[in-house]
Amino acid sequence: MHPHMPPELALTARNLRKQYPKVLAVDGLDLDVRRGEVFGLLGPNGAGKTTTLEMLEGLTPMDGGEIEVLGLDWRRDGAAIRARIGVQLQSTSLFNKITPREALELYGSYYPRCLSADALLDLVQLTDKADAYHVTLSGGQMQRLALALALVNDPELVFLDEPTTGLDPQARRGLWDVVRRIKAEGRTVILTTHYMDEAEVLCDRLAIIDHGKVLTQGTPMGLIQELAIPSVVELTFAAGEPDPAPFAQRLGQAVTARAGIWEIPTFDPKALLPGLLEAAEASAVPYQQIHVRRATLEDVFLHLTGRSLRD
Amino acid sequence: MLLYRQFVMEWKLFARDRAAMFWTFAFPMLLLAGFGTIFRSGSAPAVTLVAAGGAARTPLAQALATTPVKVLALEGPEAEARWRKGETSAELEESGGGLRLRVNTYLMAQGQMAAQIVQQTSLAGQVRARGGEPTWLPVSMESPGHATSANYAAFLLPGLLGLNLLSMGLFSVGMVNVSYREKGKFRRLAVTPLPKWIFLAGQVLHRLTVTFLQSAFMLALGYFAFDIRNQGSYLLLAGVMAWGTACFMAMGFALASFAQTSEGYAAISNVFFFPMMFLSGVYFTLDSAPKWMQQGVVVLPLSPYLKALRAVFNDGADLSGHGVGMAVVGVWTAGCFLLAVKRFKWA
Repeated sequence: MHPHMPPELALTARNLRKQYPKVLAVDGLDLDVRRGEVFGLLGPNGAGKTTTLEMLEGLTPMDGGEIEVLGLDWRRDGAAIRARIGVQLQSTSLFNKITPREALELYGSYYPRCLSADALLDLVQLTDKADAYHVTLSGGQMQRLALALALVNDPELVFLDEPTTGLDPQARRGLWDVVRRIKAEGRTVILTTHYMDEAEVLCDRLAIIDHGKVLTQGTPMGLIQELAIPSVVELTFAAGEPDPAPFAQRLGQAVTARAGIWEIPTFDPKALLPGLLEAAEASAVPYQQIHVRRATLEDVFLHLTGRSLRD
Repeated sequence: MLLYRQFVMEWKLFARDRAAMFWTFAFPMLLLAGFGTIFRSGSAPAVTLVAAGGAARTPLAQALATTPVKVLALEGPEAEARWRKGETSAELEESGGGLRLRVNTYLMAQGQMAAQIVQQTSLAGQVRARGGEPTWLPVSMESPGHATSANYAAFLLPGLLGLNLLSMGLFSVGMVNVSYREKGKFRRLAVTPLPKWIFLAGQVLHRLTVTFLQSAFMLALGYFAFDIRNQGSYLLLAGVMAWGTACFMAMGFALASFAQTSEGYAAISNVFFFPMMFLSGVYFTLDSAPKWMQQGVVVLPLSPYLKALRAVFNDGADLSGHGVGMAVVGVWTAGCFLLAVKRFKWA
């Protein structure tokens, strides 16, 4: 008997495993995704994010574990699941000379129920490119079309695999807006990314993945706070940093100097700053700028693995 | 309904692809028109023979002026200069008190024709010198099935029809499927509820209609430009075409299953494409090729297929003499189909 998941969950995965000839890509991974949330799988390239996502999407057969999607099981209800989920693959290859409108109508025809091409084009802001050949779209426009295709069947659950990889900053922001609108329509979104800023901005909850395992799960803020990583006050210098020892002594705080920057870790920047500014004034520290950097998901990842996300 | 939509979309996208339209429709027709015109039989071959120095003033040279050969009389040094430039295909010159003919190895076709005519004229001259009159054997141009149509275009047309089927199978089916797999088009379809067979059926239907249209255009061009007619029954011709379409389509699907990338597929398909294109009698018969080569090529399906196709089209024959050949094609079809079904992968 298959254990039925609670109705507030859109997807559960238990002890997911995928063995490729040379690597164990996914190694006992558990996930719970709630209805209506944007859930992120964050991890470096090769962490197993895409393999995990493809098992959840029913594209890659799993070697072990259990997946339940919208209360259904891939092994029995594949067609029913496909009709209710939307998928954007890492790269969506369309015909060069198909227009966005035609592509949406064609893919819409594969489903029992579909949204109108006009509404979708409007949602992803491609109305003025509706009848242009696919090959003439920019990278950001192609990604937005791929996103619209993933929504063509009015899905409850949407999978997005690295939706903004390779896009310029402006195009990324445009895509983030669309993801927010998808969430506002009440859909559940599961996305993968290796951009921590994207995960922080978009995701209600996320799982940090490395070597095919979930290292930790939670809300972005929760994960950062949970780890009790201090914020860092940084003083930057235009021409080489001076010796920080006298200043550190006056301040009564440890100061690390490196590459033109002094770093002063603190759990309470607000309380530290007045004294810090005073000490800098008194010691005539020739700093150029001051800013406070709070801990990010990057630091969480670094803390958990000892490596940076981009390694 | 789904299948129909898929089929219509295939046609729409195909019609927008100018390169595909050119290679599918225009190119075979250009080949037929071009080669058919160049090798139109009946028109006199334009062969120029250089007669150097004293050779130009011999009775033989004068007799040659009444033949299709055009005699160009040049003095020794001029003749030598023309020869060196490579413009002379054959040269009649004085040699040790007699005459001799020099043939340019780079221009064998014209040179040999000139040589033949010079020899005949020379022999006829010798017969007349002894008071005789040479008699010529009547020559009639006929195909193996005694059809009247004897021009090269009539030989070429069925060859091109077969070649079209081969390139449709290996490229429009095989190459396209490898690239769909490589670029992830199949994966994108796999996450939709569209039954896969509908996608493939749409593709196959599209290729079938393309082949039908392509063949109709070729037949029309043959009829209007070269007065070539199908000598056999159109029903039988359609049957033979369908038999070949099935074979080469299956071959495309089968070969596609062996390649991971388009580059890999190009290498694999060319191993089959080029030998068949050149050695299966598309453009010329292989009767003068070594026996082992002829027999080796029979193992590939295009050669026996074209023999059967020509028998029907050019000679109006039935397939009674081509059972083995059609069986060879059938074995290829069955083998490729089984391989394709067993090995076909979406991703």
